[in-house]
Amino acid sequence: MRPPADPAAQEREAATLLPVGSPATVRAYVRLLAARHRRSFAGVVGLHAVGAAAGLVGPWVLGSLVDGLDGGTTEARIAHAALWYLLALAVQAAFTGMSRLRGAVLGEQVLADLREDFLVRSVALPPGVLERAGTGDLVSRTTTDVDRLARSVRDAVPELAVAVVSVLLVLGALLVTSPLLAVTALVGLPVLLAGSRWYFRRAPQSYRAESASYAAVNTVLAETVDAGRTVEALRIGDDRVALTDERIRTWISWERYTMWLRTRYFPTVDLPYVLAVAATLGLGGLYTLQGWIGVGQLTSGVLYAQMLIEPVDLILRWYDELQVGQASLARLVGVREVADPGRDGSVRPDGRRVRADEVRFGYREGADVLHGISLAVEPGARLALVGPSGAGKSTLGRLLAGIHAPRTGRVTLGGAALADMPPERVRTHVALVNQEHHVFVGTLRDNLRLARPDADDAALRAALEAVDAGPWADALPEGLDTEVGSGGTALTPPQAQQLALARLVLADPHTLVLDEATSLLDPRAARHLERSLSRVLDGRTVIAIAHRLHTAHDADLIAVVEDGRITEYGSHPELVAAGGPYAALWRSWRDEG
Amino acid sequence: MSLVQLPMSDPGSPDLTSPRRFLRWLGRSQRRGRVLAVLWGVLHMGGQAAIPLFVGRGIQAAIDGDRSAVLAAGAGAFVLGAVQAAAATMLHRQTVWNWITAACQIRQLVARQASRLGAGLSDRIATGEVVAVSSGDVEKIGWFVEISARLWAAVAVWLGVSVVVLVRQPVLGLAVLLGVLVLAAAFWPLIGPFERRFDEQRSLGGKAGELAADTVAGLRVLRGIGGEELFLDRYREASQKVRAAAVRTARVWALMRAQQVLLPGAFVVGVTWYGAHLVVRGDLGVGDLVAVYGATAFLAGPLRVLGEAAHAWTAARVSAARAVRVLRLERASGTAAPAAPAESLPADRAARSDLHDPATGLTAPAGLLTAVVCGDPDAAGALAERLGGHAPRGRAAEGAPEAAAAGTAAGTADDADGGTGAAGGAVGAGTPAAPPAPSPPSARLGGVALDALPLAEARALVLVHDKEPVLLSGTLADLFAVPASGRVAPADALAAARADDVLDALVDGAPDAQGDPMRARITERGRSLSGGQRQRLALARSLVADPPVLVLDEPTSAVDAHTESRIADGLREVRKGRTTVVLATSPLLLDRADRVVLLQDGRVAATGTHRELMHTDPRYRSVVTREETADLQEETA
Repeated sequence: MRPPADPAAQEREAATLLPVGSPATVRAYVRLLAARHRRSFAGVVGLHAVGAAAGLVGPWVLGSLVDGLDGGTTEARIAHAALWYLLALAVQAAFTGMSRLRGAVLGEQVLADLREDFLVRSVALPPGVLERAGTGDLVSRTTTDVDRLARSVRDAVPELAVAVVSVLLVLGALLVTSPLLAVTALVGLPVLLAGSRWYFRRAPQSYRAESASYAAVNTVLAETVDAGRTVEALRIGDDRVALTDERIRTWISWERYTMWLRTRYFPTVDLPYVLAVAATLGLGGLYTLQGWIGVGQLTSGVLYAQMLIEPVDLILRWYDELQVGQASLARLVGVREVADPGRDGSVRPDGRRVRADEVRFGYREGADVLHGISLAVEPGARLALVGPSGAGKSTLGRLLAGIHAPRTGRVTLGGAALADMPPERVRTHVALVNQEHHVFVGTLRDNLRLARPDADDAALRAALEAVDAGPWADALPEGLDTEVGSGGTALTPPQAQQLALARLVLADPHTLVLDEATSLLDPRAARHLERSLSRVLDGRTVIAIAHRLHTAHDADLIAVVEDGRITEYGSHPELVAAGGPYAALWRSWRDEG
Repeated sequence: MSLVQLPMSDPGSPDLTSPRRFLRWLGRSQRRGRVLAVLWGVLHMGGQAAIPLFVGRGIQAAIDGDRSAVLAAGAGAFVLGAVQAAAATMLHRQTVWNWITAACQIRQLVARQASRLGAGLSDRIATGEVVAVSSGDVEKIGWFVEISARLWAAVAVWLGVSVVVLVRQPVLGLAVLLGVLVLAAAFWPLIGPFERRFDEQRSLGGKAGELAADTVAGLRVLRGIGGEELFLDRYREASQKVRAAAVRTARVWALMRAQQVLLPGAFVVGVTWYGAHLVVRGDLGVGDLVAVYGATAFLAGPLRVLGEAAHAWTAARVSAARAVRVLRLERASGTAAPAAPAESLPADRAARSDLHDPATGLTAPAGLLTAVVCGDPDAAGALAERLGGHAPRGRAAEGAPEAAAAGTAAGTADDADGGTGAAGGAVGAGTPAAPPAPSPPSARLGGVALDALPLAEARALVLVHDKEPVLLSGTLADLFAVPASGRVAPADALAAARADDVLDALVDGAPDAQGDPMRARITERGRSLSGGQRQRLALARSLVADPPVLVLDEPTSAVDAHTESRIADGLREVRKGRTTVVLATSPLLLDRADRVVLLQDGRVAATGTHRELMHTDPRYRSVVTREETADLQEETA
């Protein structure tokens, strides 16, 4: 049977903007973890070893009992043996329980460290990386990979450690009972090794593909539900059902394939086990007849051979999961590999003048988006960037906000290059305001305080008042304590945008780059928002990327950007008088033409 | 193995009267698979239980010095071992197949439900909740389906072993029969606390996960304005709560593990002790003693199945309840009720008919481009809905898209992990339907009320292109694969929507498309594109559909002025002779309309061309040019 097409391949291609940790990084990280928790881990394994060793007493007791019964024994000796057995059982139970608990405590500690560490690393990512990579990949790492790793750390690692210890102990017990029987029990080992080699060469990527194909069904479903209105209006409901069925078909073909893998693999696991029991019994019986071993040894040996199956099964079952966990860990530690462009803590702006000198920039090697842009904005002035979509306005805005560094040329604030300053300093001076106005899960207070953590309630209220958000904020059921964001009180898009503006009031940067902050809104709501916005802009330097011409009209200076170059530059009256493309557009807007 | 082809051509109509009945219905539809699984299970477990018999015989033969009996016992153990191993593989295949069948059936049912409800679904239930049914809940129901076969097999084997022993040694037999029951009962007291603590851990875990995902989703905001430490502290607190809860769960779990060692072990000791006593009395052979030991030790396996099945049943019932809740939803009233005597309107007559909205008095003449200016965005949205005969959207649904999107993130995250229910935390954001206010009548096309038409017919006649049209992921060719008149080619629609740069961006971002934009992929919700680019693609799609009546609500709000003015020309060209209504405020669009209608306070206030109204109506001028009244007076003075 051949594996079906891999549904994960396509997604992988699209989502590799953030690095995935190299095997060396992952190993180094695991070593770091191991070193940090060495003692606790040794404790867990040690406790389990005591428990598992106590578990070996049973077959041994039965073996000696068989020896005794064979030679004639008394009720007192049987009772004696039973008490030993019970004692061993109590030890086994207690130590197994303790090792589980200690293992869980350790596992949860490691997990908490991992997920917290990952978030710490994520929130330190350079803004430029976030602008390019988006946050989708990062969100999926936060959720999917953290969950997968949790399964690995909670179950796979302890189960494997424990199972390996058990196998070693049982083999040891067999060896002590009779080296000859131990060798006999291992007669099927080559089959197991060959089978495992075959299986584990195919299994990991197949299970990844299976789980990706499983998830792909839900992606289609989520889209259908999300786009319910569009689906209904365009009458594509049947197509969506057909698409879901198609994805289900792919998923099932992967299920069939992995089932086929297991159908071939399971017998190669079971056969050595069956052989171990049958051989210790049959051949061991012959050894007894030869007088090489006693009946008691035979009994214990066969029972030990039977005990092998459980831990071997566990090892094979969890080995997969460990590999999945490893892949997730690689995606989590990959975030540590993001190169932080060397920023210099000592660079400080002197003044507020924004300048760009001969700036060239491209997202990819050899494909510049901006071709030699120069401009200057005086403190408190307003510059509007207008031009067709795809001309590079937003890119220019990001450079002026210090998010990307120019390939050649300089973008400076008060004479200091923005690209040389750490983002934490840049943002005290310049803020980029875009169409994204995320409302965080939490209280309204949390959502505001992020801009100024030491602000008191009076300051927060004042900020809300300043953007006309006072009335609806006061009307919320619990005021500033109201839970907003996903799952809480839903804010309307205009409210979310006012919230974003209130954050700006609190953060108080002297320069703002507006990348069509209101363009995704209904223009009729945007109008009301613009009043809020204009209060925020008061007294600040503003660089606005404008889709609407009235924004341009209000600016002190207008730069028309076309194909990564500034083609017209001047005040509104100057450009209208010049009679170029801007003037033509303006006339059509104002109905003067 | 399978008579049923998956995916099924028809997943059937489930019994939705209760979660229990739903599970029973699922079971009924795969009766054959379940019976087979139980048979394989009996063979597998029975074989396992019988191996100790051969072990006992072999040891007895070794004691007796009977060489051929030793070899026979070894060979017997091997054959029986091989049979039970083969049965184990078959059992695994069959139970997994049953699991897949159940999962497939539920997922198909949910997908059909989602398509059937269309707009009605996302207004009333969070996307995350629907997706959770198709991921985490399906897993749990599947788990129960899988384990129920093993449970019945275990019960059968337990009874079988008891009968076999009962016949030979009544006291031992009784001990096996009742001992297992006592042991099973002994596990019960811990299951409750374990479930409770586990649920708490899971719900805290869901919350922490949601918090992390939310923080990361808004990371650009955090990095741009600050507050990282605030959010990290919040997350650390949630994460430590999860840790504490997980340790609390582990305490019970560790206790259960210890119990699983101690109680079955003590049972084995007791039975073996009694057996040895019988051996001393001469009532039992040594080999038989070993066999009894082996068989009782084996019974610990079925016992574990019993515990697991109890766990699975609790989980499956909760999941089935959620599935039933989603599958039971019906279309909101107000849309075309199938019960109402349906009217009919042929497409060619529709194309020649005026569209009239009784609530506002608005009329859009057939074959013309009518622009509607309306100061209030909510009223405009409601008007667009009415013009298409859609059910009015609940007011609470306004804020829903964001919550739904977050739900999706959590939901998809959940599937990928194999679906152990992290989505549970994200659920509950579902927007309840607003209490039905007396809604204004739907629009009439050629005198026929649109909501009196069969749903499919109404949607085919009038296409409402709302403010947030969603781009479904797939190639560009997939995007245009919508029911269409065939009159407008995708290339023409793309040209009219001035989407050339979007095509370039798509091709750039998709190396495997080999330069062909139609093969380039659009990611989920078109996230890789800017707002303006998304709007233009969506507009092109609506133009390709080419319905007799097209209602566009602010189709170019995120597009720059340069491009918007060119789109206005393209739109006019493509829709020539077709009825089109544009709700807009941009003069660049209004200027190209045949007629402009100004709505105020929910009624038509003025009608004319853009230029006429600009010169004659100050209210219109104020809305369109966004000047404050004071400026206006100043200028006209």
